[in-house]
Amino acid sequence: MKKIIISSVVMALLVFSGCADKEPVVDQRAQEVVVAQEVDTVNSEVVSGEDSSIDENAMSSSDSNEMNMANLEKDLSSVYFDFDKFNIRSDMQNRVANGATVAKGAASAFTIKLEGNCDEWGSDEYNFALGLKRASSVKKALMSEGVSETRITMVSYGESNPVCTDKTQECWSKNRRVDFKLLP
Amino acid sequence: MRILLIFLFVFGISYAGDATIEVIKKVESLPSIAVEDSSISYDNTFRESFFKTLVADLNVISLFNVDRHHRKTHFNDTSVMVENKDMDYVLRYKMFQDDSEALNIELKLIHRENVVLTKQYKINRKNVFMFVAHTIAYDINEYMQAPSIEWIKRRVIFSRNVTPLKTEIVLADYTLAYQHVLVKGGFNVFPKWANKNQDSFYYTSLDEKKPTLKHVNIKTGKSKSIISSDGMMVCSDVSRDSKKLLLTMAPNGQPDVYIYDVASAQTKKLSNYGGIDVNGQFLDDETIVFVSDRLGYPNIFSQKIGSNSVEQMVYYGKSNSACSTHGDYIVYKSRESSNAFSANTFNLHLISTKTDFIRRLTATGINEFPKFSIDGDAIIFIKNYKSQSSIGIIRLNHNKNYLFPLKYGKLQAMDW
Repeated sequence: MKKIIISSVVMALLVFSGCADKEPVVDQRAQEVVVAQEVDTVNSEVVSGEDSSIDENAMSSSDSNEMNMANLEKDLSSVYFDFDKFNIRSDMQNRVANGATVAKGAASAFTIKLEGNCDEWGSDEYNFALGLKRASSVKKALMSEGVSETRITMVSYGESNPVCTDKTQECWSKNRRVDFKLLP
Repeated sequence: MRILLIFLFVFGISYAGDATIEVIKKVESLPSIAVEDSSISYDNTFRESFFKTLVADLNVISLFNVDRHHRKTHFNDTSVMVENKDMDYVLRYKMFQDDSEALNIELKLIHRENVVLTKQYKINRKNVFMFVAHTIAYDINEYMQAPSIEWIKRRVIFSRNVTPLKTEIVLADYTLAYQHVLVKGGFNVFPKWANKNQDSFYYTSLDEKKPTLKHVNIKTGKSKSIISSDGMMVCSDVSRDSKKLLLTMAPNGQPDVYIYDVASAQTKKLSNYGGIDVNGQFLDDETIVFVSDRLGYPNIFSQKIGSNSVEQMVYYGKSNSACSTHGDYIVYKSRESSNAFSANTFNLHLISTKTDFIRRLTATGINEFPKFSIDGDAIIFIKNYKSQSSIGIIRLNHNKNYLFPLKYGKLQAMDW
């Protein structure tokens, strides 16, 4: 009997040794706070005159860059897709052509990031792959319009980046899309 | 006549252990069990929580008709309570706190006036009490000599979408009663246990410039990057010996299944089709199954590692976009209706590579992300029904399903 008791206690201890306090949380927010821009601004205010003026120049140029990018992104409309499909619909060809024009013109200094997205019907790998194939279709279309392949990166967010969360067909169709983002 | 009997006997033997055949057990034939609480420490709320968890676990082991009345008695009373005298089994337990504030539980199982099993458990923190309840259910299942349910003590790791592009990776028990957030604040998906001991895991970070596979040791909290790929990166399966991974990567925007050797950090591409090839799963040491859209819709295929020839595994369902394997069995997710948005859309099915049987495992809602337990006794899956996300457990040999709802967020992926 004693043996059973001891063995069950030992087993219980083994089972719970993994769930004890020593499971630290990997908190990524801590890192993200470090890169927040407000910290940089405060730092540049305390340094000497010459340095701060250089900092301001740097800040203003990156600010204008970001504003420029944000403005250009407004001109790049998302491309929408049919359920379970990754071919570009005929009514979306204009948006891709417009994207190519912006990419070769005003946004020629930037990298284009294509973000593939899906509706909520499935959270599995296949759905992520579908989002990626959508981004890939847009990439091929941009390349055929003359945008260099080296300037385009892709990522799939699956169903994790919805713009609309209602349970309607209209809403789901808004989520099956590729967004254009610009990277410096 | 003799030939017929021999035939029936052989037929009976060959299908006796086939999980694709539904077993319909008579409920009234199960023995009854009642639970008696003799706790001397802790408040009523905590006692009630523990009692409910234990009763739920006893239901999940599917061996008893469980009485739900919370009755209290003295641990050392020689006879069972009057209300329980007709019960086949009575489980009596006593919770008490010792000097080091650890939770102690003493229990005995009484069968026809005889104590047939005694056990004692101890844990340092009472907030993980549900794992004790699961262990008690495991021990009683062992005592009843039912097939092992090792999975009931294992831990579930899952990712949930909190807001767009923000997720949490959470450690839980199989009922989601215990939850501990392991990774928060970023956009991290597809967690996967790195080994049988569940002391480290892989996940995909989408916060990096390229999707990156990371490895975290839970005990030390140490995190390291393993490998990156443009477009997509998922750890789909870990081999039984933890030495090989099946990854989905998409350099050049082309998703394919790759095998990764943990020791040498070498990758090798396994699938070669120009469409979608994802969700690789080890069937045995030489064979994988995976999801591919090479027929124009997603379906399940198998391939020998190192060979290019591919075999279709599933001939039922219009769109079969996820799978998990154990031994000869494959469970897969299937879209059955041709109407993409009808209420009854995605169901799980079980097939055996040795027979032609198909068993439908779910009936309503969106059922996805099936994953066999480590012993093949049960399947865990994600159910999304009317904007409620739950974890489901299917007891294959008992033909029963259980659901455990998530309090907030939407389940993205999980491993068991």
